[in-house]
Amino acid sequence: MKKLLASLLVFFLLAGPSLAHKVNIFAWMEGDTVYTESKFSGGKMVRNGKIYIFDQSGKLLVEGMTNEEGEYSFKVPQKTALVISLDATMGHADTWTVTLDEIMEAMGDTPVGAAAEAPAVEPAKAEQPAVTETVQSAPAHVMQTATAHEIQIAMEKALDKKLKPITRMLVDAQEDKPKVSDILGGIGYIFGLAGLAAYLHYRRKIKELEEV
Amino acid sequence: MHISEGVLSGPVLVSGAVFALAGTAYGLQKLDFDKIPRAAVLSAGFFVASLVHVPIGLSSAHLILNGILGLLLGWAAFPAIAVALILQAILFQFGGITTLGVNTVIMAAPAVVCYLTLGKVVAKGGPMGMAGAFACGFFSVFLSGIIVALALYFTEENFFEAAAAVLGAHIVIMIVEGIFSVMCIEFLRKVQPGMLPGLSK
Repeated sequence: MKKLLASLLVFFLLAGPSLAHKVNIFAWMEGDTVYTESKFSGGKMVRNGKIYIFDQSGKLLVEGMTNEEGEYSFKVPQKTALVISLDATMGHADTWTVTLDEIMEAMGDTPVGAAAEAPAVEPAKAEQPAVTETVQSAPAHVMQTATAHEIQIAMEKALDKKLKPITRMLVDAQEDKPKVSDILGGIGYIFGLAGLAAYLHYRRKIKELEEV
Repeated sequence: MHISEGVLSGPVLVSGAVFALAGTAYGLQKLDFDKIPRAAVLSAGFFVASLVHVPIGLSSAHLILNGILGLLLGWAAFPAIAVALILQAILFQFGGITTLGVNTVIMAAPAVVCYLTLGKVVAKGGPMGMAGAFACGFFSVFLSGIIVALALYFTEENFFEAAAAVLGAHIVIMIVEGIFSVMCIEFLRKVQPGMLPGLSK
């Protein structure tokens, strides 16, 4: 019996810090698509978890299910902040909010907040129709502005691609496993409470004795 | 069996909190001073047990230990579990602050039920005592699952679907808890018989 208990203890200590039940959803933008990844703390992916996408007022916009890898992606339904809610059944749930700024930025529009700070972008955009008109008259100039615009698009595409593994890593880092310090701290709190109860008990006892 | 924040409706959360408060208050009243260290040790055990994972097919679940807490603490299982759940919610974000009451009821109520129904059988010992300890570990998890399903049912989900999902995911845990309870109780019977229910008073 003792051996069994000892081996169980070892098993628990080994398995201890690795897993627990909590569910996380993480979302990021690429172009006009929102990618989400859902996993239980400990690294198990949420399979067939229900995903609901709401706008800020709580109206349901999109509904879907995570695949075998816990992933789900959707095109931005409309330009509004999106609240992505995961229901992993049995009372496990989590939400992630994608702000309007993030969506605008990812889709190549000026973020609402940044619009006031960066009016310089506006003239650049206004120039574009003019570019097509002046194609014949000033080809050299057109080439320059056109390439500038193209470069920007190409850069964004390349960056999206290059940043993908880094976004992945961030998704993985996002998961917060219980730390050993937290576990020991929690046990400490419990024993501290017992100590507090003992202190209060003995204070009362001593008072009773003094009165007698 | 921790229900997350934002799953349950307001009334379910409030009634859970009321039941948990009542149970905790009663448990504290029943908690004699000399039982406090035991309650603290078992509370700490419960606190850590939720980190121990047992893989079940594609999914996994953790030990709950509420059956053993119930057997050894009786009504005091309520405050012991409540304290451990508060710390789990704050430190690990298991469950949540608003669902604290519901989660306490989910895990503590079956513990008390097991103590009241099986405590005496377990105290007697022998094969019946071992069977009682197994039943205690098994049914405490089973009842927890039923309460989870009830809480989800009152919010929106279909009761039988939710119950089947929760119980299906925990069937292995029930058996493991049962075996673990037997080992714990039999170990204590040899080493510290005073800790067993019935004999402790």
